Amino acid sequence: MDPQLIRNFSIIAHIDHGKSTLADRLLEYTGALSEREMMEQVLDTMDLERERGITIKAHAVRLNYKADDGNTYELNLIDTPGHVDFTYEVSRSLQACEGTLLVVDASQGVEAQTLANTYLALNHDLEIVPVINKIDLPSAEPERIREQIEQVIGLDASNAILASAKNGIGIKEILEAVVHRIPAPKGDPEAPLRALIFDSWFDPYRGVIILTRVVDGVLRKGQKIRLWSNGKAYEVEGVGFQSPKPVPCDELAAGEAGFLFANIKTVSDAQVGDTITDDARPASEPLPGFQEVKPMVFAGLYPVESHEHGLLRDALEKLRLNDSAFSFEPENSVALGFGFRCGFLGLLHLEIVQERLEREFQIDLITTAPGVRYRVTTTAGDVIEVDNPQKFPEPSAIRQVEEPIIDATVITREEYIGEILKLLEEKRGVQKKFEYIGSGRVLLLYEVPLNEIVLDFYDCLKSASRGYASLDYHFSGYRVSPMVKLDVLVAGEPVDALSMIVHRDHAYERGKALIERLRKLIPRQMFEVALQAAIGTKIIARETISAMRKNVLAKCYGGDITRKRKLLEKQKEGKRRMKRVGRVDIPQEAFLAVLKVGSEGE
Amino acid sequence: MPGVYISYPFCSQKCSFCNFASGVSPAEVIARYSRHLLNEIHRHTWQWPPETLYFGGGTPSLMEPGLLRAITASVPHENLAEVTLECAPGTLTAARLALWSECGINRVSLGVQSFVTPELRQTGRRHTADIVAREVAMLRAHGIANINIDLIAGLPGQTLASWDESLDWIERLSPPHVSIYIFEIDEDSRLGKEALLGGIRYGAARLPSDDLTADLYLRAVARLAQAGIPRYEISNFARPGMESRHNLKYWLLEPYIGFGLDAHSFDGRLRWSNPDTFDDYFAARTADPIETRPEEERFFVGLRLSRGIEPTCAEWLKFAQPIERWRSLGMLEREGNRLRLSERGILVSNEIFQEFVNA
Repeated sequence: MDPQLIRNFSIIAHIDHGKSTLADRLLEYTGALSEREMMEQVLDTMDLERERGITIKAHAVRLNYKADDGNTYELNLIDTPGHVDFTYEVSRSLQACEGTLLVVDASQGVEAQTLANTYLALNHDLEIVPVINKIDLPSAEPERIREQIEQVIGLDASNAILASAKNGIGIKEILEAVVHRIPAPKGDPEAPLRALIFDSWFDPYRGVIILTRVVDGVLRKGQKIRLWSNGKAYEVEGVGFQSPKPVPCDELAAGEAGFLFANIKTVSDAQVGDTITDDARPASEPLPGFQEVKPMVFAGLYPVESHEHGLLRDALEKLRLNDSAFSFEPENSVALGFGFRCGFLGLLHLEIVQERLEREFQIDLITTAPGVRYRVTTTAGDVIEVDNPQKFPEPSAIRQVEEPIIDATVITREEYIGEILKLLEEKRGVQKKFEYIGSGRVLLLYEVPLNEIVLDFYDCLKSASRGYASLDYHFSGYRVSPMVKLDVLVAGEPVDALSMIVHRDHAYERGKALIERLRKLIPRQMFEVALQAAIGTKIIARETISAMRKNVLAKCYGGDITRKRKLLEKQKEGKRRMKRVGRVDIPQEAFLAVLKVGSEGE
Repeated sequence: MPGVYISYPFCSQKCSFCNFASGVSPAEVIARYSRHLLNEIHRHTWQWPPETLYFGGGTPSLMEPGLLRAITASVPHENLAEVTLECAPGTLTAARLALWSECGINRVSLGVQSFVTPELRQTGRRHTADIVAREVAMLRAHGIANINIDLIAGLPGQTLASWDESLDWIERLSPPHVSIYIFEIDEDSRLGKEALLGGIRYGAARLPSDDLTADLYLRAVARLAQAGIPRYEISNFARPGMESRHNLKYWLLEPYIGFGLDAHSFDGRLRWSNPDTFDDYFAARTADPIETRPEEERFFVGLRLSRGIEPTCAEWLKFAQPIERWRSLGMLEREGNRLRLSERGILVSNEIFQEFVNA
């Protein structure tokens, strides 16, 4: 295919602004799918993606479009995940394109996530085509949104396309703009092969499937390729493209996007952002921008039933085949038994893994409070990374602690600004920017410790803004902070799974809130139980659960002994599902209590 | 010698606290039930002449004279020592009294539940303390002195003061037998359901706390002991020699046979029960008997008695660990070969009993 007739583009949109619907319409219009085959959100194939209306995995769909100029163009729609957890994946997908459609809802306007991804696209010198979607809604204000795009993003929106993906308005205009406004791929078909991996997943029959964009040279079936980061060589067993169903072909040439499989056993060998080159005739330089993806958020995953530990390990290994971004290692808790310390890109990623474990593998899980990875310098001068409160050194052994910091962008309406500023203050945020962006909207840029975000920031932000705030963030670095480990003692015994790392100035109030919550969640026992929050050996808060007064069946009507037995059995079973620490039975909900601490009220 | 239980699951209203298979039914159901009940009794082969007969409900004091006569005539009575009939206050009449005497009823259990009018109204009951007093007098005048009064601890709105009012009435009426039931919150009663799922109709929001209910129970134990009516089982109190012979069979694992809806039977080895819906009962759909585990039952049933139990050597060994644990917590007491619940242990007896179930 003549590269002049190829266009690679993506779609940037905030959740619910209509990205998946627009993708569906483009597929339909270009005949990639017959109307009969159309199903809502064709590209979101995982159940989870459809249910939540989010895209987790990337796609590259080839569309053939006969333009008004008489030429038939090969359009590759490279669909990207749309969530802040996957910023790196998004940046790789964008790198595979020459242009992008910026879809903005005609009544909602620009949101934080859109903004962040648009900046990513600008960094990659992508041609941006603004599309104002849902213009047929009564609340649509396309002119106001046009101004907003110009003001907030600094983009010329005079030629923005007015569209309604739902009702097929503006689809042809969008396709024409893709052809005429987005540049054709550059790249040298004669040069040694360089192809970018922008996603990969594991297929039980073919091994790892790689989504790739060929930048230079040609990728052929039977070719021996080499992966730049690890130097491993493979023979290409097949290449093809999605249309949207997989279509095998003989080669992918410079400028084209598609998939390949080469009997690669695990996705961690085919990392997103890596460069594929020819084994016999390697390129001299890899493509820029490769990073190893590092987990940012950590939590312990434990099976509710301790005998399911092996099952959980198998499940994690299977998931890891498909998701190299998450990590796990065995962990042992006195309270919860054997489990795994898992690392995730962010909270959504954590939720996805958790849900898949419960749904696809039917394992009941207890998840401990998510935390981040601290950099601790000990008094001995060693620097250690700690992602588990259990491994946090004693206060006397710590010279300094550094915590990960993010730059958070929040876009909201003026009327909620008071509440949101208060929330950001509480979360130890430092203001970097406060900007009115027109139509009563405000953009805030804050430096916030990641540890404050992972607990309950989304929920707090949502309630502070009644849902009218959008958030985006990215990692910006480490900062020295006086962090301390807060322990919880139940009847004098430390409960390791309830420990958390908090800022010294918040320790008292967090500790107090946590044990107050625990007091309500731990049932009364046969004896009085003291709940204490402690930093090192210093107790900072205390509550008492008084001894159980009454659990008696005073009725045994008509000699119904069987009923009595059943009730006793039920109570006994309930107790068995609790976790015993020392002499105290602790229900599973208690381990989640840590998550809620810090939220306002109950 | 065995006991006989007859279930008469019909009432003039359903009380908010009731979690039994009983309630208000149309006359034709009652008629049909009466025929099935009599049939069931007639079909039974009596291997032993029973020692006790107990009419429970529901409200058996509302039973048609014909049915009551037919039942008492069908049960061998040469060894009958105790014949109890449960009676809802406000249903006693001279005619009924005459009928009951004729049928050999010598013990009446009054479902009083409370002597405090607002508490009664909230549960759906229509009687008053004065009606109870009058009916106790009527029973005595008629020669039925073996009277039990039921009270419930833990009704909506109950306080120590209101509970004392009820206990004052017990002292005044001085019955030889009292039952104190602690209200059980479960989905089987309307009040319990409201407590679990929410609502305002039955006063669930005003249910006493666990702590207060425990205090109510302990107050009753103390005051009844003072009045010469000591506890002989967790919820039963009697003047010495006036214990309910029928109910004792349950705790002593002696055999009994039940007739009618949701009636339970035990032959010393097997337990079985009749269906708890009319459809199943009329169709005679019965579940298979269940083999019992006597050593477990001896603990979780037998320990309810104040006198406790005398575990066998094997049982002392088998349960050595839980027995020791609960003794060290002061919940179980050992005296020679006897084992019994302590005062504190009684109120948390379910916690203790769990250890002896499926051990």
